[in-house]
Amino acid sequence: MAARRKTRKRKARVVSKADKEFVSEAEEILERMRLDLADLSDQRAAGDEVSPDLVNRLFRSAHSLKGLAGLFGFDPVHDLAHRLEDVLDGLRLGRVPLSAAVVDVVDRTAALFAKLLAAVGDAVAIEAMSESVQALVGEIELAKRPVETQAEEFTNLDIDASLLRALTEYEEHRLRENLRRGRNILLVDATFEIISFEEGLSELTEAIREIGEVLSTLPAPGDSSKAQIRFSLLVASDLTSTEVDARFDFPETTVRSVAAAHNPAPAPAAAGKSVSSSESEPIATADRADGVAPPISDDAPKTALPDPREFESLRSISETVRVDIHKLDELMNLVGELVIQRNALGDLVSRLHGDPATARVVGDFGKLHKALGRKLRELQSAVLEVRMVPLRQVFEKVSRVIRRLRVELEKDVRLELRGADTELDKLIVEELVDPLMHIVRNALDHAIESPSERSEEGKDPQGCIKIDAFQRGNHVVIAVSDDGRGIDRERLRAKAEANGVIEPGDVLTDKETLDLIFAPGVSTRDEVTETSGRGVGMDVVRNNLSQLGGVVDVDSEPGQGTTISMTLPITLAIIQSLIVAVADQRFAIPLNTVHETLSIGPEQIQRSQNQEILNHRGDALLLRRLSDEFGLPGSSRDDKLFVVVLGMGDSRIGLIVDRLIGQQDTVIKPIQGPIRTIRGIAGATELGDQDPVLVLDVSALLADALRRREAA
Amino acid sequence: MSEAPSPNETAEWETLAREAARGSESAGDLADLRQFLTFSLEGASYAIPVERVREIVRIRPITPVPRLSVEVLGVISLRGEIVEVVDLRRRLGIEPAAPARRSRIIVVYCTDGSIAGLLVDGVNAVLSVEESDLQAASGDAVESLCVRGDEFVSLLDLDRVLEIDGDQ
Repeated sequence: MAARRKTRKRKARVVSKADKEFVSEAEEILERMRLDLADLSDQRAAGDEVSPDLVNRLFRSAHSLKGLAGLFGFDPVHDLAHRLEDVLDGLRLGRVPLSAAVVDVVDRTAALFAKLLAAVGDAVAIEAMSESVQALVGEIELAKRPVETQAEEFTNLDIDASLLRALTEYEEHRLRENLRRGRNILLVDATFEIISFEEGLSELTEAIREIGEVLSTLPAPGDSSKAQIRFSLLVASDLTSTEVDARFDFPETTVRSVAAAHNPAPAPAAAGKSVSSSESEPIATADRADGVAPPISDDAPKTALPDPREFESLRSISETVRVDIHKLDELMNLVGELVIQRNALGDLVSRLHGDPATARVVGDFGKLHKALGRKLRELQSAVLEVRMVPLRQVFEKVSRVIRRLRVELEKDVRLELRGADTELDKLIVEELVDPLMHIVRNALDHAIESPSERSEEGKDPQGCIKIDAFQRGNHVVIAVSDDGRGIDRERLRAKAEANGVIEPGDVLTDKETLDLIFAPGVSTRDEVTETSGRGVGMDVVRNNLSQLGGVVDVDSEPGQGTTISMTLPITLAIIQSLIVAVADQRFAIPLNTVHETLSIGPEQIQRSQNQEILNHRGDALLLRRLSDEFGLPGSSRDDKLFVVVLGMGDSRIGLIVDRLIGQQDTVIKPIQGPIRTIRGIAGATELGDQDPVLVLDVSALLADALRRREAA
Repeated sequence: MSEAPSPNETAEWETLAREAARGSESAGDLADLRQFLTFSLEGASYAIPVERVREIVRIRPITPVPRLSVEVLGVISLRGEIVEVVDLRRRLGIEPAAPARRSRIIVVYCTDGSIAGLLVDGVNAVLSVEESDLQAASGDAVESLCVRGDEFVSLLDLDRVLEIDGDQ
């Protein structure tokens, strides 16, 4: 029965990745909160003074939970956490008495959090709990009713009134609490050299913590001519000033008594510990004298709603484990090694195939090899799945920056984000932040006009930057569009000519002109601005993306705006490659960059402006020989050539190779050694035998080939 | 293909290291004692600091890498890591020669924590030298000299050796 219910429950819940993320983080906070809450109960039960650190921590937990729930738009938790934060703030400031009733409400709120988290994704269950949430909100409102504070308390203290006035509410509360407990209140005056005061002060604070509580640290006027700074620390301790003075060995430090210890005053009723001291217990039924109308009527006693603690399971809900990304890398590496071993096994199978003596065994062997391959593929995708994270966090970072910058730059811009749930390999997401930020800053700084300029142009005075992310096959496209002034072709050309990228007479298509922004030095501003200056240009963006196996394209309409789109592989870990050979050396080409392979006769190659081209279905396909590219001997065959049509973004070239060997799973490894970057080579891989095989950097080869055509 | 270092290779490095440890004991704990791995090139002795050596491996297939300096032979696979191998003969201006039976690749740490391979004619021993026994030398990559019996050992400045111009 129990098992069946569990299955049904699982089916009813459709939990998105974002929800899972929320639940996992929220549970972590809740777990800490409940541990602290348990400590707090213990301390109260034992009649000990409740540690102020504990209350502060609980307050911070409620605050974090509120923020998290707000971020993920999970309203019931957000509302509840918001109220709870208020109560706990009241507690730490002494405005709310730490009564049994308050502890009970906080405890039940925590339990309801747990139930809400367990129901994330199940709208019906959440809805069913809304009554409980409302009821608790009402109780919390009652519980956080402040106590009367006695204002005359500090009159007996031997202390400067200006010092007392400087105390924050929290510090006042701690002073009052310690006075009530009958502790010695001391004033420690210490003078430090300005250059090293932070160190000295933290040492002193540390030492005081061992003997009591630092209530307040206030800077005091010192002798500025001596480059010194003085601090007055208000301290509560069980030791007397003479005892403390004797223990301390700090230079230029004096200790004097502000209030001597006395027998603890009886706790004011407001801070009563037992439920029976009911006058201030907000939940007690007799509590009506204050005129605050309780939200729960007498006819609906709280027993009508189940106590959330009753049915709560002790198991954690989300079943999520947080893992260091490097451990996942290790796992991925191991899977990669297994893939390579599998490939080696395949080689062995095909070598045995010709032998009739082992034919039957080889057949079984082959089947086993295939089955192993299938399982490995499942393992691969399972491990890959673990590495995938939504773009949401990156989007949030970008929004924050935009919010800050639009104030600084006095521009009115709204940001539209779409596709925050699109998932990418965690490592790629990390590497994506800087290029994306750069593009967005550029749009805000250069592209979007000032509101007055926009009005003159007849545009909406408020500019718009859109970021659109979506999956396309094995790639993710992230497009940043603005509705700003567009790219000025004339200025771009002038800049490129000045930098020697093109010659004054060069004829360029519009696309080629726009592509100039990716040439080194062209998009770098003459004057450095705070926002997009720093001397980094779009060439760096292109290079960074190319290292991830991605490309960046630009499209722009004058006066209408600019779109910059980045196309990235979903993962870097294991990719399918086409293995080719030139001059008996093998090379791997990532399959996601291969459009098709062609077999042509040498007579089909035409020449134009010293470049080899192929008429490929009516389009002129620029050809490059890999042997020329890498300075290897050319093919000895003259009857047949193989062309690998490579493409990324909008660019295409045909790469001529000697032989096509086949497709294989490859794990690209970086090349270590004195020379780290080799143009045109992305890394190397192993294919089952010992020789490393070089992996081509297709985006670099494309860029080089196209540049050479432009030069020709 | 991932493979463990052959027992032979590991043993070789361990024996050398053990000898070195014995040597340092007998020399008494002198503060300025430094240890070097010595190897031969064209009959002459060279050395690099022991702490920069990760392992010594036998010669294995080297994949040539286009667009690289001739001083780099290519890359090898070292249990899944892809490592460039420097032809130390060429790097030091000695006539290149095909690897022979005694040839070894010394895998060293670069300053940035990555690794590189050095192809040498053969590995000899670990040498303990007092700082005071070293004489400054003014070669391109040779940092100092040290006399051992009737032969000179040239101590290489490994960082200079690994500074190879990437452009051909």
